[in-house]
Amino acid sequence: MLFKKVSGIASMLLALTLGAPTNASAAVPESDKPIKIMIADWTSIGLQGEMMSLILQTYGYTTELVVADDSGRYPGFENGDLHLAMETWQTTQQNNLAKSVATGNVVDLGETGLAGVEDWWYPLYMKEKCPGLPAWEALRDCAEEFATADTAPKGRYVGGPVSWGDHDENLIAALDLPFEVIHPGTDAAMFAELKAAYERQAPIVLWVWKPHWVPSLYDGEYVQFPKYEDGCFDDPAWGPNKTATGDCGKPYGWIKKMGWAGGEDVWPCAYQMVRNYNMDNDTISALLVEVDLNGRSNTEVATEWLKANEDIWRPWAACAG
Amino acid sequence: MHDSVTRAIPASAPTSRKPRLHSAMALAALAVAVFFGPVWLTVIPAWLEFPVATVVGDAINWFAREASIGGLAVKDITRLFAEFIDRPIQGAVVLLADGLFSGRGLDVKQSVPPLSWLAIGGVAVITAWRLGGRSLAFTVTICVGFLVLFGLWQNAMVTLSNVLVSVFIAAALGLALGIWSFRSTQVENITRAIMNVMQTVPIFSYLVPTLLLFGYGPSAALVATVAYALPPMVHNTVLALKSVPAETIECGRMAGCTRRQLLWQVQLPTALSKIAVGLNQTIMMTLNMVIIASMIGAGGLGFDVLKALRKLDIGSGLEAGMGIVALAVVLDRVSQAAAKRAAHGKHLQPGQQPLWRLLAVWIVAATVIAWLLPLAQLWPKAYLISTAAFWNNLVSWINQEWFDVLDAFRTFALLQVMRPIRDFLAAAPWTLVIGALAVAAHWTGGLRLVIYTVSLALFIVLTGYWGPAMNSLYLILIAVTLAVLIGFPIGFWLASRPRLQTAANLVLDTLQTLPTLVYLLPAVMLFRIGDVSAIVAVTLYAVAPAVRYGMVGMSQVPHARLEAAEISGCSRWQTLIWLRLPAAWPTLLIGINQTIMMAFSMLIIAALVGTKDLGQEVLIALNRSQVGEGIIAGLCVACLALIADGLLKAAAANTAIQRHRKNSL
Amino acid sequence: MTSIPGTEAQHGRQREVIVQCRNLWKVFGATKHAFERADGAHLSVEDFTRKGWTAAVRNASFDVHRAEVFVIMGLSGSGKSTIVRCLSRLIEPTTGQVQVEGQDLLAASESELIKTRRSKMGMVFQHFALLPNRDVLGNVAFPLQVQGVDRTTREARAAEMISLVGLEGRENHFPDELSGGQQQRIGIARSLATDPSLWFLDEPFSALDPLIRADLQDELIRLQSQLHKTVVFITHDLDEAIKIADRIAIMDQGQIVQIGSPADLILNPANDYVARFTRNVHRSRVISVDTVLRETTPSDTTAGPAVRPTERIADVASLVVESEHPVAVLHPHADTVAGYIDREKFVRVLAGLDPQ
Ligand SMILES: Nc1ncnc2c1ncn2[C@@H]1O[C@H](COP(=O)(O)OP(=O)(O)OP(=O)(O)O)[C@@H](O)[C@H]1O
Ligand SMILES: [Mg+2]
Repeated sequence: MLFKKVSGIASMLLALTLGAPTNASAAVPESDKPIKIMIADWTSIGLQGEMMSLILQTYGYTTELVVADDSGRYPGFENGDLHLAMETWQTTQQNNLAKSVATGNVVDLGETGLAGVEDWWYPLYMKEKCPGLPAWEALRDCAEEFATADTAPKGRYVGGPVSWGDHDENLIAALDLPFEVIHPGTDAAMFAELKAAYERQAPIVLWVWKPHWVPSLYDGEYVQFPKYEDGCFDDPAWGPNKTATGDCGKPYGWIKKMGWAGGEDVWPCAYQMVRNYNMDNDTISALLVEVDLNGRSNTEVATEWLKANEDIWRPWAACAG
Repeated sequence: MHDSVTRAIPASAPTSRKPRLHSAMALAALAVAVFFGPVWLTVIPAWLEFPVATVVGDAINWFAREASIGGLAVKDITRLFAEFIDRPIQGAVVLLADGLFSGRGLDVKQSVPPLSWLAIGGVAVITAWRLGGRSLAFTVTICVGFLVLFGLWQNAMVTLSNVLVSVFIAAALGLALGIWSFRSTQVENITRAIMNVMQTVPIFSYLVPTLLLFGYGPSAALVATVAYALPPMVHNTVLALKSVPAETIECGRMAGCTRRQLLWQVQLPTALSKIAVGLNQTIMMTLNMVIIASMIGAGGLGFDVLKALRKLDIGSGLEAGMGIVALAVVLDRVSQAAAKRAAHGKHLQPGQQPLWRLLAVWIVAATVIAWLLPLAQLWPKAYLISTAAFWNNLVSWINQEWFDVLDAFRTFALLQVMRPIRDFLAAAPWTLVIGALAVAAHWTGGLRLVIYTVSLALFIVLTGYWGPAMNSLYLILIAVTLAVLIGFPIGFWLASRPRLQTAANLVLDTLQTLPTLVYLLPAVMLFRIGDVSAIVAVTLYAVAPAVRYGMVGMSQVPHARLEAAEISGCSRWQTLIWLRLPAAWPTLLIGINQTIMMAFSMLIIAALVGTKDLGQEVLIALNRSQVGEGIIAGLCVACLALIADGLLKAAAANTAIQRHRKNSL
Repeated sequence: MTSIPGTEAQHGRQREVIVQCRNLWKVFGATKHAFERADGAHLSVEDFTRKGWTAAVRNASFDVHRAEVFVIMGLSGSGKSTIVRCLSRLIEPTTGQVQVEGQDLLAASESELIKTRRSKMGMVFQHFALLPNRDVLGNVAFPLQVQGVDRTTREARAAEMISLVGLEGRENHFPDELSGGQQQRIGIARSLATDPSLWFLDEPFSALDPLIRADLQDELIRLQSQLHKTVVFITHDLDEAIKIADRIAIMDQGQIVQIGSPADLILNPANDYVARFTRNVHRSRVISVDTVLRETTPSDTTAGPAVRPTERIADVASLVVESEHPVAVLHPHADTVAGYIDREKFVRVLAGLDPQ
């Protein structure tokens, strides 16, 4: 992240000696202040952050990629320490984002075009042991298939870290599933268990989200819970359990870009480019496989895609002339 | 490596037999009261818990966002500071890792390369040769070779840049604070109290305030690292300055030194070798922080480890982790050699060039070579080595072949041993637990220790973290017992085998600098998410001091006594039990103390595999950016650690005193 | 006992007073104020202990004269080190007066004190107190460096001192490469580098082996005969004190119980403590020839050898025993005969029979 800042200075010098770079109009960049793009500990946000960073740099902006935590990002954005984030997931961050936007210091920069999916997921081989899957009712009958000594007779469900929210506990209660939620402290631990179980073809059901490399590497599918609709979380009458809320799967939903409100005045065109940025699940999933499974760097993969698809992203930068 | 909290409380005389009986009777009375008395004696009532966390959180948020000093916002001052320390890191990264670039976006090109691996590696090897002779040069060559051949070089240099700047700042600051504390008892008391707490509060708990104040990026990581690595430097500086012989200082004063001359020309040079101990601990702790620093933007090897583990590529994670170990070994061994040399002085042999000239010549030569021969600038990808596949396969193999056995073991340990202990501690009436602690404090240390212990415990009660704290206690209890049971015997065994000790020290250093996450994930694969994995990881980390102190303790028995025992025909077991163990006991107690401190510092990492303790509370607070909760939960960890430290230190002092009395009779 | 005029001068009674110490008290644990309020001057040792104070020096008064070797001796813990440190204010005395060459040391400001120490005082320490990071040259030059003397000058001076103590050629060694005796020679050279007039030595040879100790004692005597410093020398070894002292002060529990020449102490111990101390010293080692002097009788001839009255009996024993003629004793500063040695008395003293 550092060399890019330095390169900004270097290329400014170049610009002075050799004349303006061909692809930057006089109006852009509006400011040489570095644009801080948040990345975090899952791959897709890093990849998309890198893409946006490269695009902005191409138009003369100075950028920095800054590591922050998914839920911990809001003070940074409200303070103006962080300027842009390419992913904010409806599934877990809907409320946080709304609260933060309400402070007036943060702006919602629109959807990325990707749809986040996350819910209970099991490897395909579990269908043999529990033929009723993917219907959620099947879990009631074959909970013991998913049990371990310490949870028996209940099934063992590996949920997300506690800080991701406790919707799963509600779900289990509302749908009367004989399951116990085990919370890891980090998603890496979750997937370590999946890997271990998958190698042994052992029973497991856990929280998996998409886009992610796990569903590309391992064969499996999501449990079909009653589909989320407005009302499920606050209207007891909604859904199969008429007396409880939360009797539905997790909301499938948008992944949004967000930014520090103050940045709108500093780099208006850059913010416009971010608003225009648009992708789809398949493209990103394919790139994630390159990064996660083939071990290539974000920069390399992003550069390759950008070079091959100028017709797609150049129009996003219309404001730069 | 971590120096434990030192002399948290002034030594007070241990209690003699009769008052001991009284305090035990008081505890029994309390037990009766709890049994028949009101419920609040058993379960902490709501009116005893205060919303401290919210208040603290609000205060810090206000301070970081709105407060201002003399018209200047605190926020702006700290940002300026961050900007300021960012410079040297940037400079080091350009020089060592990245070089300069021209162009932007898709047209980025390197215009000036960084120093080549040949140049930097050579500098390390030549320095090592000069300071520590052939064997040190050999060790350093292996480490450099490892980083180059395994493709870790560039990220290792990013890490090195951060580490060098952090260590420099921590050392300078620690030295200054140490000198100041040495000169004023009042300052010493204050810094000691702060350092004791800082050493035991998990870093995650002050990460959010750090980010609030210093923004996101390398400088925030640096501030957190410095805060973490500072205490041993301060502590050792004070100790070192105190250990300068009175005569040496008098010699300086008789020569007519001013205060400043005395400090710089007499006290510091004489204390140097002991200050170097602090420096080494600071270096090691800085390297311990590499992973966490990379979570908040320091990049480098730490990020490699995180990235690899996120893909569950345990082998690559291990390699990157070993890269950190290699850096640690080089920095540690070379700085030790340098300190030794500076402390004892040594002249160049006739015909020997000064080191700086050698290095300058080498850098120029290596740069020319690297220019002609690209391989010397950047080791080509085609020639890289990797053992990652081997490690990954090994873990998979164990997983497939041995899982049943391991799972049976896990089930047994969990259901038969761990759950009962956990449930017992969770159900124990809080008043009785505190009462028992008070009696222990009374027996080992007297009234002052009782007050100290009870107030720390009450802090946990009042802030509402008693439940998680008991859960932490249960994890620590089991992990420490295991570490001691494994570590001491190994230490005893090694004590009589000096030849193995160099190798053993290398292994122990590795255990302590290898990022814990590297073995945490395999543990999860084999023992699932939950307390068993956490305990395995904590035990592995905390076993190192147990081995070390076991080794030291055993070699402390006076020779004459051993010979006497041999003559009176003691068997080896008899000698061990009647002679060696009692003689080593005070040292072993300190060893247990160190082991406990290590275990506490690992709680937070253990939380990553899903414990339900204070560590988890800190982690949740971190993820949710809850400043107050993070700090208070962190302070509760510190309270637990300080209680354990106080009791054990007192016990150790106690046995040492009794021993002394017995011997002098 | 017949006394010869002139020998007094040997003890320097008429010489200029360099250090004057009056009613010096050092009570560890007590401030001056507390001490005075408690009327410390009249407290017993037990009283001090009860208050948690340690009276290391109690009411010491003495003078040290120019070019004299003044030895302070006593058992361990009797306050010797404390007293000598009060003379340079390394330790702040509780009350009393110390004057050095007329300067009131206790009234001196910090900077005056530094100046005095730099120009007038040198000190040798029991455990050498060398700086481990400096080589021999650097250690010896250290006091000069502190004063800001430029490098060439100070190193030239240091080299001179090093050869004075016989360590030429070892300038570039480091302390840990030298033996204890050599290290103390450096300590001596360093203390002399600034050419101080007042030389403090606190048990300089106690940490050394007996043979090396004897060597260094001879070395010290040689140096003193060249340099004529005013010396305050601390030891707990009476033989050593006798060997080098002009005058000895004996300390007991912080008090100076007697000051006198070696012979005075042995022949006229002030109390039991001193007597017990000196009991095992052979008198012949301290008693000078003038104590066995008898009047000239007509039968005496000057054919035999002659000795000076200040020479010690032990030193002239072989001469007296082997001479066929009676041995003559000359006047101190003239070659005229003052009398002859009384053989019978001489032998009695030598044999330790004479009770004096
Ligand atoms: N800094 C101090 N604080 C308190 N007591 C002290 C201190 N220094 C010395 N003392 C005490 O003062 C008394 C005299 O000590 P001092 O060192 O002068 O004795 P010494 O005659 O030099 O003994 P030694 O032959 O062992 O050097 C001793 O009882 C000692 O314990
Ligand atoms: Mg002494």
